[in-house]
Amino acid sequence: MTRLPVAVILGLVALGCQKPVKPGDPLPGLAQAERDRFDRGKVVFDSVFTPETGLGPLFNATGCGECHEDPAGGRGDEVEVHATAFHAPVCDPLAQEGGPVIQQHTTPALKQALGIDQEPFPPSATARAMRTSPVIFGRGLLDLVPDSVLLAYADPGDRNHDGVKGRPNRFLDGRIGRFGRKAFVPTLREFNAGAFAAEMSVTNPEQPTEESIGGKPIPTGVDPAADPEITQEALDLTDDFVRFLAPPTPLKPGKDGQRGRELFSQTGCATCHIPTLRTGYSPVPALSNREFAAYTDLLLHDMGADLADICLGLATPADFRTEPLLDLRGAEHFLHDGRATTLEQAIELHGGEGSGARDRFKALSAADRAALVAFLKSL
Amino acid sequence: MQRTIRIAALTAILLVPLVTSAPADWRALNSAQPAASYTFQGTVRAVDARTGTIELITGVGMSLRVVRITIAPTTRLAAGGAAPRLADLKPGDVVRAEGRRTTTGLVVDRVEKLAVGTP
Repeated sequence: MTRLPVAVILGLVALGCQKPVKPGDPLPGLAQAERDRFDRGKVVFDSVFTPETGLGPLFNATGCGECHEDPAGGRGDEVEVHATAFHAPVCDPLAQEGGPVIQQHTTPALKQALGIDQEPFPPSATARAMRTSPVIFGRGLLDLVPDSVLLAYADPGDRNHDGVKGRPNRFLDGRIGRFGRKAFVPTLREFNAGAFAAEMSVTNPEQPTEESIGGKPIPTGVDPAADPEITQEALDLTDDFVRFLAPPTPLKPGKDGQRGRELFSQTGCATCHIPTLRTGYSPVPALSNREFAAYTDLLLHDMGADLADICLGLATPADFRTEPLLDLRGAEHFLHDGRATTLEQAIELHGGEGSGARDRFKALSAADRAALVAFLKSL
Repeated sequence: MQRTIRIAALTAILLVPLVTSAPADWRALNSAQPAASYTFQGTVRAVDARTGTIELITGVGMSLRVVRITIAPTTRLAAGGAAPRLADLKPGDVVRAEGRRTTTGLVVDRVEKLAVGTP
């Protein structure tokens, strides 16, 4: 008779005592086979490529872990260069000149052949952008938020007159995008496969051809590895590793932090940084129908002329995707290009659709501003 | 006349083994084998109505490539219920192209301009 209540109490205690997820941890509740793939994927993620194993001839990093580090999947201190050409309303991602990611290094063989240390900056570019390496925790959850949820948050005509619009970006083929600072890439899978090619020039079964050198073919003999340079299995494992990286558990906010959470909503930050999202169905139970702290709507918002840089897809130079506020407590630089060194600066640099929330933040008392920042630092 | 018939017969006899032992590729090139078909979906970068070519931007994630496709006289163009001309396509349009690789490049049988949804 007393067994059931005891079991319920023990269950509740166990739930309450669930170990907090640290940066770099896998999602809680993965099956053993999924956990094995996470571990094996981490090995590929942390591996260092050489020209003989597929690196280059142009590249930004020798492996995924070079930029997403401390721990694997975290943020690095690298800043990369992107470029596109905007001829309103059309955005040219400069694919004919090597694409929007401008690789900053070359292999010794390419340097010997062409005498270049980095990819030539495309002459047709109308803008240059700097991009920091984001944390990639929780991306598997973001991948599974249904498009219909994002569309429900969109308000391109500002029908509620709050000054905040929000619209989805679209990939080259018309699908809704959500990954990258401009929300250009529709799925995590494509982002990962594309990152092998764009960041390391490691060809793979989903992007089997090398990029040109500023639109010109790679000189003969410069790229010794046969394409594709990694197997489907290696790509699949890396994808699973990234997909299964959990968002770290937010710290328990103190009294200030709790007040800050209320202010986060009251000032309008939560209009775009939607606190929680819910995933749709996934065959992986740990990812399926999960509510999680996302602090994003994955939509594009005009952030004003001061932050504007490149276009991408339907995103104009001033449009940026609402950054998911995950593992904010580990960040030392903020915004897409790392120009802000404090959270206060980052908020004050919000323009365009973010200017209303920014102004309400600036109008708070010093104590309230500190409380809001304390809340953000708990994430 | 007899001499002509003799030469023709001798030529035929000599050629029979050559034809029957021809490499498989040779026979494939000379038969009506179906070519591998491709479907590309991407954004139009440029249209040259004079040469009948379209440059499409396709890609995987942030890794983008340009694909050049050729319009044949028999290529069908579609946009919803309408049938646009090649010159009606413009940079930024999203299209799906179905075609096959030939010795002259990618020749498409059908190009459909897609309506990109707006929220």
